[in-house]
Amino acid sequence: MKRLFLLIAASALIVAGCGGSSGGSSSAGASPHGHVNITLWHGYTDVEATAIKKLTQEFNATHPNITVTPQFYGNSDYALQKVLAAIAGGKPPDISYLYGSWAANIATNPTTVDLTKYVQSPSWDWNDFWQAARNVATVNGKIIGVPALIDNLALVYNKRLFQQAGISPPTANWTWSDFENAALKLTNPAKKQFGWAYVNDAGEDTVWRFWAMLWQAGGSILSPDGKQAAFDSPAGVKALTLLQTLAKHNSIYLDNGSDNYPGVFTSGHIGMLWTGPWDLSQINTGQQPYGVQILPGDLNHQTISGPDNWVVFNNGSARVNAAVEFLKWFTSPKIDLKWAMMTGDLPIRQSATKQAGYQAYVKKYPGIGVWVQNLNNATQSRPVTTTYPKISTVVGQAVQSVLLGKAEPQQALSNAAKQVDGILSAPS
Amino acid sequence: MTAPAQPTTTARHRPPAWKRLSGSEHFAGWAFVAPAVVLIAVFMLIPIVWSLLLSLQANDLLAPGHYIGLANYKALAKDSQFRSAIGHTIVYTVLFVPVSIVGALALAVALDRKIRGIRFYRLAVFIPLVTSTVATGILFLWLLDPTFGLVNYILHELGLPQQQFLQDPNQALYCIVAMTVWGWLGFDVIIYLAALQGIPEDLLEASQMDGASRWSTFRSVVLPLLGPATLFLVVWSTINALQLFDEIYVTTRGGPLGSTTVIVYYLYQQAFQFFNAGYGAAIAYVLFIAVLIVTLIQLWIGRRRVYYTS
Repeated sequence: MKRLFLLIAASALIVAGCGGSSGGSSSAGASPHGHVNITLWHGYTDVEATAIKKLTQEFNATHPNITVTPQFYGNSDYALQKVLAAIAGGKPPDISYLYGSWAANIATNPTTVDLTKYVQSPSWDWNDFWQAARNVATVNGKIIGVPALIDNLALVYNKRLFQQAGISPPTANWTWSDFENAALKLTNPAKKQFGWAYVNDAGEDTVWRFWAMLWQAGGSILSPDGKQAAFDSPAGVKALTLLQTLAKHNSIYLDNGSDNYPGVFTSGHIGMLWTGPWDLSQINTGQQPYGVQILPGDLNHQTISGPDNWVVFNNGSARVNAAVEFLKWFTSPKIDLKWAMMTGDLPIRQSATKQAGYQAYVKKYPGIGVWVQNLNNATQSRPVTTTYPKISTVVGQAVQSVLLGKAEPQQALSNAAKQVDGILSAPS
Repeated sequence: MTAPAQPTTTARHRPPAWKRLSGSEHFAGWAFVAPAVVLIAVFMLIPIVWSLLLSLQANDLLAPGHYIGLANYKALAKDSQFRSAIGHTIVYTVLFVPVSIVGALALAVALDRKIRGIRFYRLAVFIPLVTSTVATGILFLWLLDPTFGLVNYILHELGLPQQQFLQDPNQALYCIVAMTVWGWLGFDVIIYLAALQGIPEDLLEASQMDGASRWSTFRSVVLPLLGPATLFLVVWSTINALQLFDEIYVTTRGGPLGSTTVIVYYLYQQAFQFFNAGYGAAIAYVLFIAVLIVTLIQLWIGRRRVYYTS
């Protein structure tokens, strides 16, 4: 508690400091010789840490006028607070990795650079970035970030358990009822075996899987004008009913939010997961033969993606230009694929699949090709608004109440929709 | 400071101001405490004042906020989620404080004897306290896991029904009580052990001479002499219980279905998940006032009931 209290208070100081410290001379940042030093903040560890070090060195060697220094800011979960503190202190990083869910919030800060005019130059080929990534980098028509990471949910299944249960493996044309039947057949309480796993912490992990199902059934999160909840629909009820049925039959391993499910999967207790490439290293241990398929579908096979951004902060035009130049190089098709190869992340550009090195990448990370192709199914995004965290909390509770058998789907959704309408109509 | 102003003509006969200052005892005193005063001011007092100001603002910490008077406090008064957070906090405190203190007293009495391996037993009781909250949280998540947890395994072996524990909205808060009592017991035990060892032997002997049984010695001699320690533990545990956060953060995150959303967790949600920092600061101030009132009541009762040997 004490720590939290201080954090709030310290943040208050930061904001108080914000007023006076904005501005600065526009040519700041460049040394007399025209050499520009910029910093890049990230939370990379392990292979990604090695990769960012290598690639920035490569950039520095090929761009003698710019030196990019990557700096590790710790866990990305707390990056926003640290960046805000740095802005208040008058020394923001030039580039920072920030979660896509913060895009709408960070866009309100005057230090955040509007990148629209840069990335719309044809040399950037902005539309080559995946749709979902572009959506999350765009706030009210303004582009405030360059895609840093993209992922999505696909179906990962245990081949051995499928064989034992006598079910043929999932296909790209699998329907919800195929999925439901398989999940029920894979369930065996005596062996502590579950058909599926669902994160049941009522957080965003609970919510986004539900959004994918909602979209598959033809529903939407909000009304087209964004002023009302739209998930309280037949599609929403259908999606929650699927969850309810499977939960009632104990077919779902309910993860408490501490990410135990990949471990339970590799110990052979879960038949199917809806997960992303980030779990691949945990799943690909050789303990269970696994396959990857796109998600089952109802009206369509849509998936959901949670992209993150590189956000640029204003330290004078010379440094902004240098930052933009670095990001352009770093997210160029060639370097993007290189990064993917080094880290196992998905390429953030659509053209990656047509590059010569792509096959080697797919071979290096078994199953990854499905996730890359599945990005074509990530056509919709969560609303990029400052109220989204509140909406997510309300819907998380609704989904959880159905999973725990405490509410009926229709009742849970109506109740949630009423609360979300209240959030959307509240003056901000 | 209180001396009348000297006529300017005599000023030249006095040592310069810095010499007068550095020579005085006051100066030395202030110089010694200055580092601590500066630290306390910067990291405690200024933040306390700032968060009061913040509580009067609509502020998301991202863009400059604006003054809205008492609107945050008025909204709090009508906030049903805040009310249920208060309810959860009260239930938790009412269970945690007596259970941990009575438990600690029993353990301390059991550990206050000269037997083989006493150091080991004392260490065993103390270790949970120095274990990090995150480790404790993960340990309990696995112990209480409905499918793979040890506790359900034991229940199964005993033929008892399986429980959902932290995943059941009706059980989660009680599981948190159990977990935190386990984690904090060591501290209370240490305090009681010290107090027990501070009881003069002659008092115990005197009561034995008077023919008191072990139980009545404990009730009439030992327990009253533990009064100051008990008062301290009650006040301290209550303050801690009202500020419960870490254990919730690493285990249930306020769930399931908000059943473990206590005041400080709600504050965290508002300030750092929803970016309502002003609202969060208002919650902090309401909590601060509540803790202050509860503590004053406890101390007031304590003054009338607790027996001090000195």
